[in-house]
Parts: sequence; C-alpha cells; structure tokens
Amino acid sequence: MDNSNGLVLITVFSTFLGAVIALIFAGRNTTQRWVGFVASLTAWGSSLALLILATEGTPQVYRFGGYDAPFGIILVADSLSALFGVMASTVMLAGFIYSIHCKDKCVEYPAFLPLFLFMQTGLSGCFYTGDLFTFFVFMEIMVLSSVSLVAISDDRLGLEAAFKYLFISAIGTLLLLLGISAMYATFGTLNLADMARQLETGDRPLLATGAAIFLTSAYLLKSAVFPFHFWQPDFHTTAPTPVHAVLSSVVVKVGIYGIIRLITLLFENEAPQIRSVLLVLGIVGIFFGGWGALSTYNGKRLLAYSTIGQVGFILVGIGWGSALALTAAIIYAFNHAFIKSALLMVMGLISSRTSPKTADFKHIEGLGPKLPPIVGVLWFLGGMSLAGIPPLNGFISKLAIVQSGVEVMAWVPLFLAVFSGFLTLMYMFRTWQYVFQTKLEKTVVKVKGFTEGDSVLAPVLLISICVFLGLYARPLVYLAEVAVEQISQPHIYINAVRLFGGG
Amino acid sequence: MLDILTALAVGFLFAVGVFQLLRRDLIKAALGFSLLFNAINLFILAAGLFDGRAAPYTTNVENGQTPSDPLVQALILTAIVVSFGSYSLLVGMVNIISRRFNTVDSDKLTELQK
Repeated sequence: MDNSNGLVLITVFSTFLGAVIALIFAGRNTTQRWVGFVASLTAWGSSLALLILATEGTPQVYRFGGYDAPFGIILVADSLSALFGVMASTVMLAGFIYSIHCKDKCVEYPAFLPLFLFMQTGLSGCFYTGDLFTFFVFMEIMVLSSVSLVAISDDRLGLEAAFKYLFISAIGTLLLLLGISAMYATFGTLNLADMARQLETGDRPLLATGAAIFLTSAYLLKSAVFPFHFWQPDFHTTAPTPVHAVLSSVVVKVGIYGIIRLITLLFENEAPQIRSVLLVLGIVGIFFGGWGALSTYNGKRLLAYSTIGQVGFILVGIGWGSALALTAAIIYAFNHAFIKSALLMVMGLISSRTSPKTADFKHIEGLGPKLPPIVGVLWFLGGMSLAGIPPLNGFISKLAIVQSGVEVMAWVPLFLAVFSGFLTLMYMFRTWQYVFQTKLEKTVVKVKGFTEGDSVLAPVLLISICVFLGLYARPLVYLAEVAVEQISQPHIYINAVRLFGGG
Repeated sequence: MLDILTALAVGFLFAVGVFQLLRRDLIKAALGFSLLFNAINLFILAAGLFDGRAAPYTTNVENGQTPSDPLVQALILTAIVVSFGSYSLLVGMVNIISRRFNTVDSDKLTELQK
C-alpha cells in the first residue's frame, strides 16, 4: 500500500458516507444537517490538502485494494483535478450552508440532503477518477441525484424539466458509453494513464478518432455548450435555489474538465480539430447566452442563460490552446464557479421573499429598496465581477483570456468575444435597474420580512472569496500555471500512476 | 458468422431504439431507451479484446481454446445496473407525469413554454 494517498479517497467518499448516515437519520432534520455539514467540511478540507500536495509535489494516487493500475481502479489527484476539486467542494459546501437556511419546502424532504451529498460524490469523483469507466459511473450518480433534486422542487414545472434533462442526459450517457467501449476496443484498457502510455509509443489505432468524437460530444452535452444547450435554462431555472447554484456553477464544469483532460492527455493528434470546433462553438455560445439573458424576464433564467455565455469564454480559451490560453481557461472556470453560485443565491434569497415564490421580473421589480442594503451590495459586487470590472475576480479571468488572445494573435475571435462580453454588462445592469433602482408607487406583491426568507450567509462567504481572489489573484494564477505545466507533460501523470510493469 | 450477427443485432436495436425514442408517447420513448442501452451493452461485448467462447480463468489455454474477455462482461454488468437505475427513475417520472397532467403525449406537456 505504499505511495497510496488516502486523502483522495476521503475527498471523494466522505460525502458518500455522510449521505448514507444521513439516510439512516431520515426524518430528523437537525441530525441530518449536522452529519452532512461535517461530511461536506471534511471533503473541503481534504481537497485543499490535496491541492497543496499535488501542486508542491507529484500527483497523488489512491489505489483501491492496493492493486496497481491498470488492473486496479485508481483515483488520481494531479494539480488540474485538485484545482477543480477544490472549486467543487467549496461551492458545494456553500450550497449546503445555503440549503440549511433555505425556507423551501423541498429542503425538509428527508432525501434532499442525502441526494445533495450524493451529487457532490459524483461531482468530485468525476474530477478525481483515473479511469474512463469509473468516470461514467460517477457521472451517472451525479445526473440521477440532480434529476431527483430538481423533480422534487417547489416549482411545479420542476418535474417536466427534470424529465426532459433525464432524457437528454441519457443520450449523453449513450454517447459516453459508445466512446468508452471504442476506447477499450482500441487500447485494451480503460485506464487514462495506460492509454496515454500506449499513445506515446504506438501508432494511431483505428477507432481512436471515433472515440474522440463520441466523448467530446458527450462532454459538450453535459456542460450545455451552445448546440446542446436547449435543456439547460429550463432544468436550472426550475431547480431549488441551492441546487441551481451548484448546477450552474460547478456541475457544468465536468464537461470542461473532461475536454481539457482528453485533449491534453489522450488525443493530441485530434486536438487541433477539436480545438477549432470548440473555438467556434464558444464564440457562438457567448453571443447566444448573452442574447438569451438579455431577452428573458426571469432572474434565475437570466443567470442560467448567462452560464451558456460564460462557458463559451472557457471554450474559447481551450480553443486557442496555447499554455497561456489554457491557464486563462482554468482561471476563468474557477472564478466563474464562485461568481455564478453567489449571484444565484442572491437571486434565490430575493425571490424567496416574494409571496408567490418566483424570480419573475414582474414580481421582483422594485423589491430591492425594501430589502436590507447588504443584498444590493452583494448583487452589485457579483454582477460587476461577472461583467469583468476591476478589482473583482471576474476582471482577472477576462484579462487572462484577452491576454492569451493577444498572444496567439487571434484578432477576429478576440474582438467577437470581447464585444459580446459587453452583453454581460448590459444584462447585469438591466437586472440591477429592475430590482434595485425601480421605485414602485404601490407594491404588486407582498414582501416577507427579512427573517422569513433564505439566509444571506452563504452568498456573503462566496462574494468575499470573489473579492479576495480579485484583490490577491497571484495564488490562483500560480496554481493554474502549475496545472497547465503538469498537463502539458503527460509523462508526469503516467509516472505518478506507476503502472504495473511500467516502472 | 457470430460477428456479423452481433453487428446486425446492434444495428437493429439502435434503429428500433432511436425510432421509439423519437415518438411522442413518453412510455414508448422510455422503452426506446431500454432498447438503446441493450444495443450499447452488445456493442461493449463486441469490443472485447479476444473473442473466445470458453469460460475465462478456468480454461486450459494449451488445448487450443481461447478464453472470452472477462472485463467486458464486468463492464456490461455495471452498465446494466446503472442503466436500470436511470430507466426506473425515467419510468417513475412518467408515472407521476401521467397522473399529474393526465397525458403521456409529449406535445401536450407544454407548461414550460410559457
């Protein structure tokens, strides 16, 4: 059992254990909350420790049962997956804190918190797995639990949206399985490191290109990139607020992570073609997401559309593909998770104070002045950060993207991306005007008191992380640089996994 | 011969599954899914590294028999469990939808469009 780090196991499976224990205490809400909180906090702490270990040294590996890869199943935390894992566990912890103080009826449901924890297990499992088939299993855990969470939403339309998503995601699962079995037929293994080792030495096998197409389209479908986006606004808008906050911010990053992993580790030959597709899809997505967000009249739906646009920026970064652009894409993905979840929680706590609970502009128009000023401050900071105004962290990520675009001299895509980035500013200001700057003569809806709605604690935590990462961006940039340095040399990953007989 | 039969079966199941998936009736669409998952399972089986017929691990390789690939069978077993889980969730949701909206015609489920 040498060279096997149990921290990886704790990061992935502490929430699983927490979910099982919480299921035993079904019906006792306080106990469930404490168990889940401790589990989520453990996952957060160990993911941070893993990030330090993986960045300072070599990738950390956990071998199930002590068997060496490729015969045993392994979990690998190199600095890319550790960075994404910290992002996921931080946002999930904040989402958990929000759901503790959430006044939705569905939070009282005995399976809500266990399902939330199962979703975190699936999510972090996707980031840490070193095995394609295990990736599929974790992704299914994530999809099934998130579908159940949306189906029990307070919003009556949640069931229909969840059904729609389950259909679409089942098609994505089919594509993923096709890709995985094509990879197995080609390489005779499912271990990522083993495939990469065979690719380094051997010639191009027959089915690898087909597998690349299947896997890429499955990942694009999971992260709601432009032509596969149609399920996303419905599914995310009808979700309960804490679930929406994690769906729109970290769950869509699974596909991004998968694409980065694939094009750097496995498909270096197909990478130029995949990149050019991603670049086009990214720019169309930025336009489409911004346009959709401008033309909708629902606060939560606006933020769901905005996610399509922001994922577009990340894809543009991956599409340029230089080391700086990949760093920018990782920084963007990391920052966007915090901004978007914080904004969604603020929108959720605004809408939880309306009497028919909704984020429709007809109902929340002019609601802002009646709320305590901290809500406005949070929304303003988050909105400016999303639009990329200094000194917030959104500015850092936009700056990194623009800088990498200048470096590769891709002037036309850069111009299009920056131009459509102004759409972000427009729709954030539009919401600000509607909610906080409009003075209504007579109130259309009844507004509840401050204590009757959702708590303001979780968005305060997330926004302060955003402000901190904007003022002191050096650590994040350094971590992203290390991650790119590691993934651009596949042999670091392969050596760390220490394949059986491979030395 | 068995290769061609497997390929034909995968293709047939895919064709029927996609056809059922595109129908308006949600129950038929859900059935299409179970067909599609079975097509994928057969495809995984065909993706095995060596296509022997003898049982793995117990066969004496020296007498000329090729063992079958045990890993694809383990994969199919996992895929069956996972797809069964999502299929039962799908059917359960069709059940609730049919009770709540009194229809399983997907054209009549248009509340989200408003």
